[in-house]
Amino acid sequence: MTNQRFRVNTPTVTHETIDGEAVIINLDSGNYYSLVDVGSFIWGLVEKGASAGEVQDVILQAYQGDATDVDRGVQDLLAQLQQENLIVPVDDSVTFDNEQVLSSNGHEKPAFNAPLLHKYSDMQELLLLDPIHDVDEAGWPKPVPDPPK
Amino acid sequence: MPTPQVVPSHISPEEQASRSVEYFQSVHDLFKSSQQVTGAVERSYIVGGYRIRLSFSGPALLALTRAIEHLATDDDSNPDLTICIWDSASTGQRMVSRPWQEDDFLARGVIQGYNTERIYTAFQHGSAAVSVLDMERNLAVFWAPDSNLPYWEYGSPLRSILHWWLLSRGLQLVHAAAVGNSSGGVLIGGKGGSGKSTTALTCLESNLSYVGDDYTLLGMDSGPVVHSLYSSAKLNSDHVQRFPALLPKVANPERLADEKALLFVNEHYAAKVANRLPVRAILLPRVTGLPETRLKRVSVAMTLAALAPSTIFQLPRAGGEAFKFLATFARPLPCFSLEVGTNLSTIPPAIEGLLAEIDSGSLPREE
Repeated sequence: MTNQRFRVNTPTVTHETIDGEAVIINLDSGNYYSLVDVGSFIWGLVEKGASAGEVQDVILQAYQGDATDVDRGVQDLLAQLQQENLIVPVDDSVTFDNEQVLSSNGHEKPAFNAPLLHKYSDMQELLLLDPIHDVDEAGWPKPVPDPPK
Repeated sequence: MPTPQVVPSHISPEEQASRSVEYFQSVHDLFKSSQQVTGAVERSYIVGGYRIRLSFSGPALLALTRAIEHLATDDDSNPDLTICIWDSASTGQRMVSRPWQEDDFLARGVIQGYNTERIYTAFQHGSAAVSVLDMERNLAVFWAPDSNLPYWEYGSPLRSILHWWLLSRGLQLVHAAAVGNSSGGVLIGGKGGSGKSTTALTCLESNLSYVGDDYTLLGMDSGPVVHSLYSSAKLNSDHVQRFPALLPKVANPERLADEKALLFVNEHYAAKVANRLPVRAILLPRVTGLPETRLKRVSVAMTLAALAPSTIFQLPRAGGEAFKFLATFARPLPCFSLEVGTNLSTIPPAIEGLLAEIDSGSLPREE
């Protein structure tokens, strides 16, 4: 597990990180997500090709925290990201340059707090409208009684 | 230029390309036949700086133009895009039977196997209308069974076609309102019911101009700009009670039991409608229950999370490119939570005050 690398599940998933906050959208499910602080940092590492173990190493160097807590926090987040189909496992063939990540992360070591994946499902209703309805004689679906919002 | 996502299908790309062009041609041929029966009715509009001609088969669907009449032009030369509009009931011309299977209807009405780089096809659930665009010929067809379309089709007409074509010209439809003044405009984002319309309509009785309250059009000229697209307001029946001055102006008073109230702002407040404003800030309305309206600085990421999903998940073939566009648009702008007061008259001064602060270079700090 610790050598496992991932990639962002594009094109199903699209994402942007702005000022340390990541916004992630799953275009298939209609769910969208946000990650802040260490969660956003981990997302960036995964995107750059870091394995689970490398993510933990970088976090331990960049944050003040207990190794067990970091291990659990990272593993939990990666499991959640996989469960939500935001990342998918890839072959272990990518070279990850953690020196570059660490040097760009500055010298201050903030405290490690377990990352939280914030999930929003309020758009699902727009996607889950049943697209199949009764059809007319030419094969066209009849209008649905409830219009889209 | 951003390229909209193409829907994958088990059919080969070559077969999809051939079927899609053939389908477009058959729908366009039927349009031409219908127009020979009814005669042509043509109107021209300037949308986001582009000249768009609407060519109708007879007058049955002319009411689709009410929401865009503020963009009308008398100059009908050389359109950048032509949209052919017809219905079966008034013309007597039957639509071609659908050539795809039931499981080809995807989310947001996209038709699998009939969407390529060149041809865009969508079915609108609710109105049973078909939109199809040939990007290569800058030619589109909108067909409906009859003119008895739901209110939202008249409120935001031809939305799919305009979204597809305008995106190819670097303009992004966004589910957001916009108001402003000579200092510039604010974009007001958020999903349905968040307070966009309330905020925009409150500004009709203020010094602020109205750009739109549901869907507007974003561009990046020398900086972020918002173009007016639809000057139609859609309000829940309980919301419309908060605007007694607007009640007599509602376009569908007999259907309020089943529909939102529809108001064509340009028909009653023509002088208040601004067709284009540079965007100075993005606001996310939030109802607090407090009497006064307040502004609080929020992060760009939070703003993007409010703005992008409600846009992307309502437009066919919108996806990663739209998200990137909105991120690029929002990134340089200050973003605020607009804590809408129960005293609606406090909304316009709060926005005017913000625009004045931005003009003078003194902004509230991020919290």
